[in-house]
Amino acid sequence: MNPITDDDLILFRYRDGLERARLAEIEHELSISPALRERYAAIERMLAEVDGQPEPLADADLGARLWRQLEPRLAQAGVVRTRMSWNSRWHALLESLRPQRLAWAGAFALMLAVGAGFYAGRQSAPAVDATSAADATALRVLDAYVAAHLRATEGVLVTASNSGSAALVDGNRELAASLVESNRLYALAATRAGNARLADFLHQLEPVLMSLANQADGGAVQSSEGLRDYLHATDLLFQVRATEARLDRNGDRRT
Amino acid sequence: MLDDQARWVAKAKTGDTLAFRRLVEMNTSALFRTCVRVTGDKAIAEDAMQEAFFNAFRHLREFDERAQFSTWLHRIGVNAALEQMRRRNRVEEELPAAENEAAVFPVTTESTPGPDRHARSAEIRRDIETQLSRMTVLERSAFLLRHNEGQSLEDISAQLSLNISACKQAIFRAVRKLRLALEPPG
Repeated sequence: MNPITDDDLILFRYRDGLERARLAEIEHELSISPALRERYAAIERMLAEVDGQPEPLADADLGARLWRQLEPRLAQAGVVRTRMSWNSRWHALLESLRPQRLAWAGAFALMLAVGAGFYAGRQSAPAVDATSAADATALRVLDAYVAAHLRATEGVLVTASNSGSAALVDGNRELAASLVESNRLYALAATRAGNARLADFLHQLEPVLMSLANQADGGAVQSSEGLRDYLHATDLLFQVRATEARLDRNGDRRT
Repeated sequence: MLDDQARWVAKAKTGDTLAFRRLVEMNTSALFRTCVRVTGDKAIAEDAMQEAFFNAFRHLREFDERAQFSTWLHRIGVNAALEQMRRRNRVEEELPAAENEAAVFPVTTESTPGPDRHARSAEIRRDIETQLSRMTVLERSAFLLRHNEGQSLEDISAQLSLNISACKQAIFRAVRKLRLALEPPG
């Protein structure tokens, strides 16, 4: 039998690159030779250390970053289809309605609903009852949407005031940015619906959401301390919860 | 997941870029790991991925679906990573001649990890990383594709354009270099 080298043992470890007969010889020799077992154990220990090395991890936005660079190249190279199928357009639409845009889209839909409700109410004479029914529906929709918006806002405020984690702050920053737009639209819808109190409250929230959306990197701890102080001084979190509860109650009464 | 990929592949083959975007997202992490293993550098790996995805889309019609899309893409990724290293003149033209097969590990290697060894684990990790970065591209690629990704010597040889014997030698040399990271001090 040929002597068993460490290179043989490496191939034996992977069960690759050796004839079946050679594998059997090594296996047999390992069962009877403590010296060979020790050499093999040394190889296994070393390879186990390699297994313990951290895996290279991709940035969370690597896929998006690659795509941003790739898409124009594909277009330039003429390898993309110029006309998309309806199915693809639907996917494109879904793609565009990423979570941060959903709130904005919801707020926009709500504006239309509230406007349509009031318009329908005013057009349907003599209809005092019809007008109030349409108004009530529009207000119920507004209440439900704003209550959901306030729940999201409450989550952002709580996370921002309690978290020192950079990763959480990053995610929260994106969420706050998405809420700024919808907050503006809800405030406008509330004004149009004649609910000045709600509109004022939403206007009061805007600068807080904006400062969270623009929170600097690495400033998590200082920012959360500042926010805690601000929330404590203004009772803002309490007001958010109270308004949210009031809107929920309004919705229940109107149904 | 794999059926899902096949569905997106079918759509992407018709030129649907959104379907291809889904494939990019689904395969980014795995391809990144492979490209970093070959290049040893995250920025170069990213360039390689860019080329790999671009080439994959261009040649998608040639993908016959006998293999998984991820396997096919992996091969393209390895080639793209090697190409990036070649452009930077970091790939050796030829492998050194085979070394004699002297024992890689002396029999005196400690048989069980003692407390000193545990205390050294962070240091060992750093040393392994250093040794991996000092390897030639082919040694590191051959070893990591075999060890971390479980690819067969035959597949690795095909991807690295080596014959099986040269591929084995690359792995043996990589293991010898790694051994340096684990030798007890003194």
